[in-house]
Amino acid sequence: MPTSNASNGKSARGRVAVVAAGVISPLGFGLAETLDSLRAARDCIAPVRRFRVDQCRCKTAGQVPDERLLAHRENERKARRLHRASHMVIWALKEALAQDVQFRPELTVIGTTSGGMSFGEDYYRSLHQHGGSRRSPTWIANYLPQKAVVNAQAAFGISGPCQVIANACASGTNAMGHAFECVRSGKYERVLTGGYDALSELVFVGFDSLQAATPEKCRPFDRDRTGMVLGEGAAILALENLETARSRGARILVEITGYGISTDNHHLTQPDPSGSGPRQAMELALHSARLSAKAIDYINAHGTATPLNDAAEGKAIAELFGGAPVSSTKGMMGHSLGAAGAIEAIICMLALENQFLPPNINFRNQDPDFDLNIVANESRAANIDIVLSNSFGFGGTNASIIMQKFAA
Amino acid sequence: MSLRIAGMGWVTPIGHGVEAVWDRLLRGEEAITQTVSDALEQKKYPVFTVPSVALKDLPPHPRLRRASAISRFAAAAGLDALVYAGVKIDAEISNRMALVFAIANGGVVYTKRFYHDVVESGAQSASPLLFPETVFNAPASHLAAMLGITGASYTLVGDGAVGLLAIKMAEDLMVNEALDYCLVVGAEEADWLLCDAYHKWRLLKAQPPIEPFRQPPRGMILSEGAGAVLLARKGAIAIDTIHPGANFSRRQEASEWMARILADLADGQPAIVIASANGTFVDLAERAAVLRAMPEVVVYAPKPALGESVGASAIWQVIVGAQALGTKQLPPLLHAIPEIDLRFSGPSAGRILAHNAIVSSCSLNQQVAGLRLSI
Repeated sequence: MPTSNASNGKSARGRVAVVAAGVISPLGFGLAETLDSLRAARDCIAPVRRFRVDQCRCKTAGQVPDERLLAHRENERKARRLHRASHMVIWALKEALAQDVQFRPELTVIGTTSGGMSFGEDYYRSLHQHGGSRRSPTWIANYLPQKAVVNAQAAFGISGPCQVIANACASGTNAMGHAFECVRSGKYERVLTGGYDALSELVFVGFDSLQAATPEKCRPFDRDRTGMVLGEGAAILALENLETARSRGARILVEITGYGISTDNHHLTQPDPSGSGPRQAMELALHSARLSAKAIDYINAHGTATPLNDAAEGKAIAELFGGAPVSSTKGMMGHSLGAAGAIEAIICMLALENQFLPPNINFRNQDPDFDLNIVANESRAANIDIVLSNSFGFGGTNASIIMQKFAA
Repeated sequence: MSLRIAGMGWVTPIGHGVEAVWDRLLRGEEAITQTVSDALEQKKYPVFTVPSVALKDLPPHPRLRRASAISRFAAAAGLDALVYAGVKIDAEISNRMALVFAIANGGVVYTKRFYHDVVESGAQSASPLLFPETVFNAPASHLAAMLGITGASYTLVGDGAVGLLAIKMAEDLMVNEALDYCLVVGAEEADWLLCDAYHKWRLLKAQPPIEPFRQPPRGMILSEGAGAVLLARKGAIAIDTIHPGANFSRRQEASEWMARILADLADGQPAIVIASANGTFVDLAERAAVLRAMPEVVVYAPKPALGESVGASAIWQVIVGAQALGTKQLPPLLHAIPEIDLRFSGPSAGRILAHNAIVSSCSLNQQVAGLRLSI
């Protein structure tokens, strides 16, 4: 076990329950639609509609349809000014709070990578083309990363402090992990957490310029994988000290039991090929949960389908976990960056609740460089109690979280 | 839990290094205005920039070769904080140190350049070298690599209060006894695009000075730089209480929250307030809150001298508070008109008897927070 500065087990430990959750992604609006898509191994990737991609290699993404998203706007005049990222967070938060109307967080910790970036793009384009627009102040005010969280809090009368973590693609899992540690340490009883990101041209073109995005299907862990497709969405989880939650009769959906964070200094955008960064994060999560690797029944991998990421992660998972079932769900919904970790945590939660393994679609050939037990192409029933979810990002941020079926 | 400041680093438009910047503030100096031109519209905006000499001692590192100014400012401030604390980085120290980075606008220079190429020439001309530097956590990643930090590294985004939220996060992380240190860094780089955005928000002043607490407010001048505080369990200055604050939806709520924060932070000891006043509407909220919660307190605001550095600004205020308690001196508040009904630090630097320094931050994008330092 490496020397760790993640939770070392010396702090007073409370158990941490997820008492409510909400999600919106290309897989669907809400938990039920998401579950249906996962079970059906639905491919929700489609041609990009929001901006021109004719000069890009990749032309597809997982997208949340505006016609449904914006149909939920309640205060039309004010809602028109909000970025669609705000609408996604509001949608997910609404679903979560509907499950537990008593839940009032002391702190909100949310991950994102780019906030309402497309408003920043609108502002810049208008400046470039016309010297500005009457809408510029609105675009500027609503593109900021914290704005979607502030708007969602305001929509439901939540006034507590919020921390918005921007640790690239690990942001969502880092947010949940930090929220988990805040509750487990006893400093907080209730923390709202999750992640969000909305598709934007700047980010899409950026990944395309790095040739990290694929013009083909996204095939995580496949021998012939050629890269990622982007996605978008939001997911919210309400965390609470388990005893407090039980004492007020809250429904416990699942427990979070471990979290690990590591920083890989190899390169700004490339993981150490040895897989040491992901391995350290997963080991720290196991240590934090006081579990051995054998206890893990399923791994929801980061699995972007880029050659380098999957090689490093695949190697680390194969070395640590042997034959535990593994899937990346990004082939179905795309990589939603700051939202990914939170959406995937909800996928893990649904897997635990419904006892099945989510599928890794578009999988054809095992990569000979790492021996993984891939849940290929179809979901399958399984008895699972403990799952681990990974998220890794630019800047070398690696995060792993462990969730456990609640046993009273 | 005892949370203390073990080291500080400061990169500002009036210089580099805690002692140097502090001496200039005590002498009543202020940043010299530079002008940035809007390449698209030929608009000009005043801004306070960091002189290039401030980074002359920054050691070369492969990660900084292509890095944006914000990463260099942060690296300089972070390394200075370690030197200040006498902490020499080795593998053991790195393993017991976390990094929390406070950021507001991020690497705006490279982001603008990257997207400009896309707008001007299409996606095919997008630069794969620039794109990674546009990511919010790029500066933190560079600093972590320079320091060999392999554990927790978080980048928090927000507005002017984000530095205090980062210190709050550091406090939460330091509950873990496996950590000896948490380096908290706030940084900002100025660019005409930011100036234009704040101008369109009607928050930017056409020319200096920043006049704190003036009604009606006349606006601010943007600046850049970085601040770093190395938090530990030992150190001369204690962070007694951090109020993580809240978000305000309407401006009227801001002063209510600020008053609540100041009242919560007051503990009956002689105190000073290090305010975030920057010449905009936030001054009104802060003024009302101070008058309501602690009308007798002496107020100092560093932004008239240093400018509004958004992501770095709250860490700068913390450094000012720590220096004021440590040296028992407070710089003169610049450009405050006498009619304002607050007690300001005097026209020249004077000795203070405060036991506490309360740092308040009411920021432009709906976040408020505060903390109390003591000696």
